[in-house]
Amino acid sequence: MLSEQNMIGKTVVITGATSGIGLATTIMLAQKGAFVIGAGRDKAKCQKAEETILENSPGAQVTFCIADLSCLSRVKVLALNINRIVNEKGCKGIDVLINNAATVSSWYTTTPEGFETQFAVNHLAPFLLTHELLPLLKKTPEARIIMVSSGSHFRTRFNWDDIMLRKRYNCLLAYKQTKLANVMFSIELNRRLGEDSTVRAFSVDPGLVNTEIGMKGTSGLVKWFWKKRSSHGITPREAASGIVYLASEPSVMREKAVYWKNCKSCNPSRYSQKGEALLKLWEISEKMCGISSEKYKLPPVV
Amino acid sequence: MRSMICITGATGGLGRAFAVECACRGWDLFLTDISADALETLACGISSTYMVNVDFYPSDLTDVSSRERLFKHITEKGLIFHGLINIAGPDYEGPFAQRTPEQIRTILRLNIEANLEMTFEALKHREKGRSFRIINVSSLASFYPMLIKATYAAYKRFLLDFSLAIREELRRKGCTVTVLCPAGMPTNPPCIHAIDIQGFMGRITTKNVGYVAAKTIDYALKGRPVYIPGLVNKILGIISRFVPSTTAARLIYERWG
Ligand SMILES: NC(=O)c1ccc[n+]([C@@H]2O[C@H](COP(=O)([O-])OP(=O)(O)OC[C@H]3O[C@@H](n4cnc5c(N)ncnc54)[C@H](OP(=O)(O)O)[C@@H]3O)[C@@H](O)[C@H]2O)c1
Repeated sequence: MLSEQNMIGKTVVITGATSGIGLATTIMLAQKGAFVIGAGRDKAKCQKAEETILENSPGAQVTFCIADLSCLSRVKVLALNINRIVNEKGCKGIDVLINNAATVSSWYTTTPEGFETQFAVNHLAPFLLTHELLPLLKKTPEARIIMVSSGSHFRTRFNWDDIMLRKRYNCLLAYKQTKLANVMFSIELNRRLGEDSTVRAFSVDPGLVNTEIGMKGTSGLVKWFWKKRSSHGITPREAASGIVYLASEPSVMREKAVYWKNCKSCNPSRYSQKGEALLKLWEISEKMCGISSEKYKLPPVV
Repeated sequence: MRSMICITGATGGLGRAFAVECACRGWDLFLTDISADALETLACGISSTYMVNVDFYPSDLTDVSSRERLFKHITEKGLIFHGLINIAGPDYEGPFAQRTPEQIRTILRLNIEANLEMTFEALKHREKGRSFRIINVSSLASFYPMLIKATYAAYKRFLLDFSLAIREELRRKGCTVTVLCPAGMPTNPPCIHAIDIQGFMGRITTKNVGYVAAKTIDYALKGRPVYIPGLVNKILGIISRFVPSTTAARLIYERWG
């Protein structure tokens, strides 16, 4: 189900816009008339994505920023670049932020800041980017933050003693934890923003999608498994329609639901809604990103 | 000033894993590596996450004057240590005759000169009255004469023997020396690729660096001499004692040559 709503005059930021679900979403948003700022880690891929988008939607308004999200200092630079583009283009602010980029890693590897790679790219980067872009999101009458999460967050808990699984790394568990973190971040962000906020966060489960995510940064066995499994998945375009629905459908903002699949709201896992865990994850993430809730006016809810 | 753990080659994959592991245990850190930017980024991430003090000083350890500046900095700032983790050590893979003279010099300077001088300096600045832990990173390659990695395997052997010898010299002075001898380390995309193309053998001889760093420090705290991560690697280490070097070199040639 694709929302009929056009997006002319809307500004959308999307990470991981160079392939898979992100690229398909960017194409669709551009076709609906939105001004899309895409983020990618590789210059050549960004150029190629831009060409693909313009082929699919001639005259589309799209621009790309290059940033490797595995480094938090680069996330901050990305936010500055987005600010600059928004100002130069004379946009009011940001209407939709889609945190879509994610990675899978077979081995425990660390980012330049010393964080486990999946945890940094899939959770810390969107956590920080959202904080940094919040002032721009607050400038538009209604703004949405969409976390591309996954059904794999069900039946997953945090290993609080070793949240980045340093000692007992397991690729799938590390990935699932980050997708759980995406859901929990959106729930806690909504609580902190308050009922009357013009900004709302959502998490979306795109379902099983036939993309290359399991073929990058992984070793032979994971590649083989992902190739087999993903061939049963839906196309990135089908997955994108659920995200575009959340980004554009007016009724979505009135519903209090946070978790969506196939354009319908549903319940996220029970664990993801636990107050204590929500707070703990938030505090850990703030510490890792070196930021404080006071600065962003997001105090904890008592 | 609280005493620190000094880590060389801190911003590489294994260096970062050790830095994080030490910070998790609440130890303050002194990091060194070539790039000041990389050191600052790492120090920033670690200090905010684990609430420890992280100091750093960039140095090209292959360069004598750069090393001297580093030692001067340590002296002038009055830094004191209760541990040293020597990680810096490049590997240029390929037949010996195809290496460049510069590569050969770098290997020797960094792995032998710098490692020895760093150990010497750190011992001068050790915290009085506290056990001092030295961890040197050798390799499983040190147990065998390795073609394609001839220089690498040989200097890793040097490090192993040197470490075990000073271990005895320093034993009564409250100092332990532990040598880490890993096989493949999946620290960056090229290493991961190299492990990948070895297939099953690569998979079973490889351990995650986070686990390796944690275990190595456990070994060091217990004062144990050598840590070989992984059962298969331990067995390969034991076999090396019974196979004559010339036969081992020949067998390795059959497998890799
Ligand atoms: N595929 C599925 O079945 C499935 C199911 C549930 C949820 N999801 C979620 O859907 C989202 C999109 O995944 P996908 O399946 O479309 O995979 P994908 O095609 O690999 O897309 C991931 C995107 O993230 C980017 N990215 C990865 N690491 C990055 C980094 N360090 N810095 C900046 N960008 C980085 C990638 O850039 P490059 O183009 O340069 O690689 C790519 O554009 C992810 O959040 C994923 O968790 C996917």
